[in-house]
Amino acid sequence: MSSSLDALLAMLYRQLKRWWSARSRVIMTVLNPLIWMVFLGLGWGGIFSSQNIPNIPGLSDIPAMAEVIRKAIDSYFKQTFGGVSYVTFMVTGIAVMTAFMGSFISGISVIWDKQFGFLKETLVAPAPRSVIITGRIVGDSIVTTLQSMIIVLLSTVLTSELILTNIPLAMAYVFIASLGFTSLGVVLSLRFSSMEGFQMVVNLLTMPLVFMSGVFYPVTSMPDWMKALTVFNPLTYAVHSVRYWLVGSSTGFNYMNPWTDLAILLGFTTAALSLAVRAFKKATLED
Amino acid sequence: MSDIIVVEDLVKKFGDLVAVNGVSLKIRKGEVFALLGPNGAGKTTTIHIISTLLKPTSGKVSVAGYDVVRSPDQVRKKIGIVFQDPSLDNQLTGYDNMYIHGRLYGLRGRELHEKIVKLLDLVELKDFTYKKVMYYSGGMRRRLEIARSLLHEPEILILDEPTIGLDPQSRARIWEYIRFLKKSYDITILMTTHYMDEAEELADRVAIMDRGKILAMGTAEELKSMLGHDVIYVTLNNDNGDICHFFNFTKSCRSLGGGKIELVVDNASRALPEVFRVVEVHGLRITEVSYRRPTLNEVFLHLTGRELRDSGESHTTPVLARRRWM
Repeated sequence: MSSSLDALLAMLYRQLKRWWSARSRVIMTVLNPLIWMVFLGLGWGGIFSSQNIPNIPGLSDIPAMAEVIRKAIDSYFKQTFGGVSYVTFMVTGIAVMTAFMGSFISGISVIWDKQFGFLKETLVAPAPRSVIITGRIVGDSIVTTLQSMIIVLLSTVLTSELILTNIPLAMAYVFIASLGFTSLGVVLSLRFSSMEGFQMVVNLLTMPLVFMSGVFYPVTSMPDWMKALTVFNPLTYAVHSVRYWLVGSSTGFNYMNPWTDLAILLGFTTAALSLAVRAFKKATLED
Repeated sequence: MSDIIVVEDLVKKFGDLVAVNGVSLKIRKGEVFALLGPNGAGKTTTIHIISTLLKPTSGKVSVAGYDVVRSPDQVRKKIGIVFQDPSLDNQLTGYDNMYIHGRLYGLRGRELHEKIVKLLDLVELKDFTYKKVMYYSGGMRRRLEIARSLLHEPEILILDEPTIGLDPQSRARIWEYIRFLKKSYDITILMTTHYMDEAEELADRVAIMDRGKILAMGTAEELKSMLGHDVIYVTLNNDNGDICHFFNFTKSCRSLGGGKIELVVDNASRALPEVFRVVEVHGLRITEVSYRRPTLNEVFLHLTGRELRDSGESHTTPVLARRRWM
């Protein structure tokens, strides 16, 4: 048992060390979401506010009326985005998206390890396959959670509406979700022999999942068919819960709250992790 | 001496391909044992079964008293292995590669650190301890892998083609380490190689392997004595199968095909004039003649009719590469 823990920690150390030793890549992983945040967030942010609404001819003659309309518009947007500005709404989603994308991509490191031979080193070690793969998944999930946290901290430049004291809680949710998504990444990368094939599938899969999760717009304002799909997307619950903790209000369907989110994410992660363990065992054991 | 690795009737099939076809061998504690054979002979497959990476199709393999199928974890603790292809993490330093290996094998703390420093010093990589492996040369990587495989103090060290692809200098260095280990450590070494000089130089006993079978086993001297003293190769212009009865004065005569004949004699310089005479008497012409003191290459030629160095058949795909996802 203790030797299994040693092996788990060894794999965890390795994933973290690899990440840290490639610091230039760390900047890249943060840069991409940062671009989304700044340009899309600030760009759309101006539209979703009454400030930029042009004066309607005639309305300026009745200041009280103009004020009422302005307030109505403002309160509509606030309501839509959970009582905060669009930028705040979106950056909380982007933080989760960063972890989500990072998790999926980290699955690819299994392919790298096979190509560069390190996989064999772990396969002749006196530790169960399940421990080896779990160790790497946990390590990668810590990495993606850290990336997500960097995004949250950077986003404080764009908005002052985040509840900073809730960051640890939000990150706990991000970590749980990351475990699940990294596991899925591992399962996929074990299915595809080539880097190119994996990348294609990841792109094909991640984009729709991101758009159907409420990162950029609330799930409640989606068309019905999209809503129906959103319910089955685990990312939806990660986005909802993280936004709940960082913003302090719920922007999802009625049944969603931090506890149902947690239960669903735990269920998803357990299933994905056991899938990954099974796939890894099967892929490395030959009779 | 007791046997530390026992292989009985080992068979490994990949679909229709029979990679290992009934191999039996016993490796004694403390010896250096070499599996010698061309690429595709089944050496690597045999090694992978012994190191629990592959399961045998049939047959029994035990390492240090543990069955490789029933108690793989026990076997893994006893062996250190250097694969034919590198298995290092290029993104990490030499030290980190060693450290992770140590942790995987349950070592930790000060003890682990001291062992790493000592072993990196042994393989002369002290100055590169904190350099990333991607900046190492091929020889340095192989040395790091040897150091790493020794970290958990295995009873058996398995080296799969330890000097393949290395320049002569690096090769000589690896040979030195193997000799040093044999002398200074209480360790059994199982190695595969397709270089006959490597097997002859380093191994206490050699098994010659070809097409999944072991053809002969023994010390290099024993194997060479199968051929007697000198070997003469004569190529005649006429490919006549029953030409051997002309050479009744030699110890043995064998047609290798294509007009090439292998003659084993006590003393080649004395026998050659007689060979020329006999050939002339029978109205034949010699197109090529050579003689050698037998090396393992001649033994291999004797056993298979092919030269060891030019039997470069289809290269065995590394075992893990066979799988669809790999």
